[in-house]
Amino acid sequence: MKGRIDTGGFGWVILGSLICFLAWRVRLGTFSEPGPGFIAFGAGSFLCVVGIIMLLSGLVSPASTEERVPWDRLFPRGVRLRLAYTVLLLFLYTMFLDKLGYVIGTFLLMWGLFLNWERPRWVTSMVASLVTVGVTYLVFEVWLHCQLPRGILPLG
Amino acid sequence: MLFSWDYLLQGFATACTLQNLMWATIGCLVGTLIGVLPGIGPSSGIAILLPLTTVLPPTSAIIMMAAIYYGAMYGGSTTAIVVNIPGEASSVPTALDGYAMARQGRAGPALAISAISSFVAGTLSLVGLTFFAPVLANFALAFGPPEYFALMFMGLSLVISLSGRALLKGIISMALGLTASLIGQNPLTGASRLTFGSIEMMAGINFISVIIGLFAISEILINVEHSVKLMYDTKVRDWMPKWADVRQCIGAMLRSTGIGFFLGLLPGCAPAVTTFVAYDVERRVSKHPERFGKGAIEGVAAPEGANNATTSGGFVPLFAFGLPTGPALAVLLGGLMMYGLQPGPMLFKQNPQFVWAVIASMYIGNVILLVLNLPLVGMWARIALIPFPILGPLIILFSVIGAFSIRFMLFDVWVALIFGGIGYLMRKLGFPIAPMVLATVLAQMLETSLQQSLLISQGSPLIFFTRPIAAVFMVLALASIFRGVWVQVRNRGPEVPLEDEE
Repeated sequence: MKGRIDTGGFGWVILGSLICFLAWRVRLGTFSEPGPGFIAFGAGSFLCVVGIIMLLSGLVSPASTEERVPWDRLFPRGVRLRLAYTVLLLFLYTMFLDKLGYVIGTFLLMWGLFLNWERPRWVTSMVASLVTVGVTYLVFEVWLHCQLPRGILPLG
Repeated sequence: MLFSWDYLLQGFATACTLQNLMWATIGCLVGTLIGVLPGIGPSSGIAILLPLTTVLPPTSAIIMMAAIYYGAMYGGSTTAIVVNIPGEASSVPTALDGYAMARQGRAGPALAISAISSFVAGTLSLVGLTFFAPVLANFALAFGPPEYFALMFMGLSLVISLSGRALLKGIISMALGLTASLIGQNPLTGASRLTFGSIEMMAGINFISVIIGLFAISEILINVEHSVKLMYDTKVRDWMPKWADVRQCIGAMLRSTGIGFFLGLLPGCAPAVTTFVAYDVERRVSKHPERFGKGAIEGVAAPEGANNATTSGGFVPLFAFGLPTGPALAVLLGGLMMYGLQPGPMLFKQNPQFVWAVIASMYIGNVILLVLNLPLVGMWARIALIPFPILGPLIILFSVIGAFSIRFMLFDVWVALIFGGIGYLMRKLGFPIAPMVLATVLAQMLETSLQQSLLISQGSPLIFFTRPIAAVFMVLALASIFRGVWVQVRNRGPEVPLEDEE
């Protein structure tokens, strides 16, 4: 294992350099008058230094590369679909929340999640979703005035 | 501001009227509820309820507002312990050990010790508020930008201990958190950076959304992956802490009181900072630091004590100088001014009955909180027994509402979602989450104080070593960094982040 390059370290060096570049573009300033990119440049430099240390430690010590867990064990095939479904549902919800509004959007999200995770009869999950939306609407919109998105219904 | 037993006793007499006791109880209940709901913090809670109190006499209104404030500070720990959702940044250290305790079937003792520690620290720091306010307020005024920067730098050095043995990963986590929180406008110049021309990004990344994403959403994704039936299927072992548990936490409670109270005097030093410092100190003084992150009961007592002590400490500069040390106290200051009361030395001279009644009501409020919350420990802990297919969607929903209600922006929901994904990947790849949260919380103050300090010193970083208070903090921070690196280099071993150590 000795002498293997740690690609993770390489990635951090690239990311750090990118942050440094972006910070430099908005002006670093000087020590007597630090600019808006001053601290961001520092954070980017940190990433670069850590990346370089990881790269070097990969070359001189087998420890960091030996402990790598294979990708398939980290994200087993069986769970990928379930996970992707949840993430997709959340993504779509956030994307259309403004257009659909809190009541409809949240009802669909909850229904989708209840159906996926519990798999009860669809009526049960529909009622559960309706109750959840109703209660949270009363608490957050009516009582706490959270200004939830209105969407296509005159509610929210 | 002069202390007088007569005034204090008179204050107790006013606070103990049936009407004021009722408002204090309502305030504690509402505050706890606000704390439990993610995203609705004490500041927004007080701001929402402030207009409703106009029908009350000023003393009753402020008693209720103060009760909401410390009630919310207590309530924030509940969800952190039971379902790993720290509604406030200050509850993050509580979640580290509280949630681990809950997974071991000890949610009850964790919640109870949190209530007890909050009560002890809250009451002790009230004693400080009562007797030493003028002296302590002067101490707070000695802090300028260099001292603040040194304090924040010391805060960042906690990354070393929060990273466990995964130091490099901890530093990466910190650097990413720091970069994320710099997105938006520079607090001093208003110049925008890392926004890629997006108007929403110019508003900056709110750390509450980051926390909700990193903790709540990533936790759900992990649970989805394992198709769990319960958030944790360990049988609930006991509802209340044993006497040995309480005894074990006495030191932590006392230390966290001191840390929380003194740091709470500093404007801008939010409970989020003091709870991290208290947690770190406890880990350092412990004979078994390896237990931290795995369910050490002192890891719950220390941040919760510091949280409540900071709350009381913040009232010293508020009453003595009219200086709010945090957003919630700024809203409270607005409330005082709404009633025509101008905080400052004259407040104690012109309205002693009012001030001492509020202070006395805080003693009573602490007792009310303990009496209300200890019997409810079982109820809160039972939340974890709700099957995951029901609890999971609800947590997601509360996370979304919590993120949205910070600034009523969908952008914050996106941030929570993105950081949920990042948090999930970090957990899978063994990156510690706490350093990222710490950096996100400290970034803005760190940047502002650094810029101000360098402007004052005309670019000389020596300013951090020539002023005594700043120098002490800097030396402590540097010593902590060198020690951490030395220990890391000496004990070459597999990298295991603190949160995931089994």
